[in-house]
Amino acid sequence: MLEAIEAGAEYFIGIFQEGAGWFGAVVVGIIPLLIILLTGVNALIAFIGQERINKFAELAGRPGWQYSFIRYLALPVVAVVALTNPMAYTMGTFVPEKNKPAFYDAAVSFVHPPLGILPHVNPGELFVWLGIATGISAAGLSLTPLAVRYLLVGLVVIYLRGLVTQFIVDRMIARREAANTEPATA
Amino acid sequence: METLNRTLETIGRSVGGVVGKIYQAGRDTIDVVLRTVLPFIAFVGLIVGIVQGTGIGQLLADTLAPLASSLGGLLLMSVIIALPVLSPVLGPGAVIAQVIGTLLGTQFGDGNIEPRFALPALFAINPQVGCDFIPVGLSLGEAEPETVEIGVPAILFSRMITGPAAVIIAYFASFGLYS
Repeated sequence: MLEAIEAGAEYFIGIFQEGAGWFGAVVVGIIPLLIILLTGVNALIAFIGQERINKFAELAGRPGWQYSFIRYLALPVVAVVALTNPMAYTMGTFVPEKNKPAFYDAAVSFVHPPLGILPHVNPGELFVWLGIATGISAAGLSLTPLAVRYLLVGLVVIYLRGLVTQFIVDRMIARREAANTEPATA
Repeated sequence: METLNRTLETIGRSVGGVVGKIYQAGRDTIDVVLRTVLPFIAFVGLIVGIVQGTGIGQLLADTLAPLASSLGGLLLMSVIIALPVLSPVLGPGAVIAQVIGTLLGTQFGDGNIEPRFALPALFAINPQVGCDFIPVGLSLGEAEPETVEIGVPAILFSRMITGPAAVIIAYFASFGLYS
């Protein structure tokens, strides 16, 4: 009888010990670097200042496909790195009305890929990256190659998202305008 | 004497400014670590404890590991998460992505999944990113209500294409990783 209770207690506390071990590994292994890195980047952004970023953002509003690289690649990256989630989306102000959904899609998709190198962009959602990264560390592998590739693939993906979403938005706007020019049936 | 004073004052002021900004940056950092990062680590730690300590982990490992160790399985995962009905529900706080990511992480740690699959997996767990936040995000960019009306479905449908596409791109970008 007593043995059963002991076994039960051991099982119960074992659950928390398992979690505590994981907690300790993450706090010791990740938090110190994160704190120093965050401080450095926060200070850098304070030195650069908001006005300089706004000036750059105005470029993204220009028409023409060659500016799509600025709209869906350069501006989302600068916005996310400098203003972080969620303030980055305020940069949509500088983008023409019909491009706003695609800009948002590109920007919001970039709040996780840089986390391995620039964790300041979204410290509240660090574990989208860290969850898998902790496992890779536990397997005894270096995180840097994965972090770099995550960032680079992220760049390709956000540009693609910008283009695809823009394509869909253009179709929907065209359809709505066609519907509006037809005589109202109601 | 007066010029020297003025120079000293300018130097002192700019050094003070620099120190102040870095100090403030440190204050912001500690704030975010204490308020957001550490509580989340505690939350995930409890989930990891329950999952690993009770043996659910083994069950999940048997389901998730095969899914995450092939391109087809990861694509399936991304398509399900990107469904326009599910993606806005799964979005908030990226909690789902973070929990699935952590569970997958333990599988990578145990060597049940080839490490190169970490790259496509990072995209497969996250095609819903920001889908819960579209109206707010668009309003932050001062979008008109008509734009929000079109933007929400446009982004949700777009994710059905770009979610799996991201997994495929990441899969091909993972060649040579950890080999």
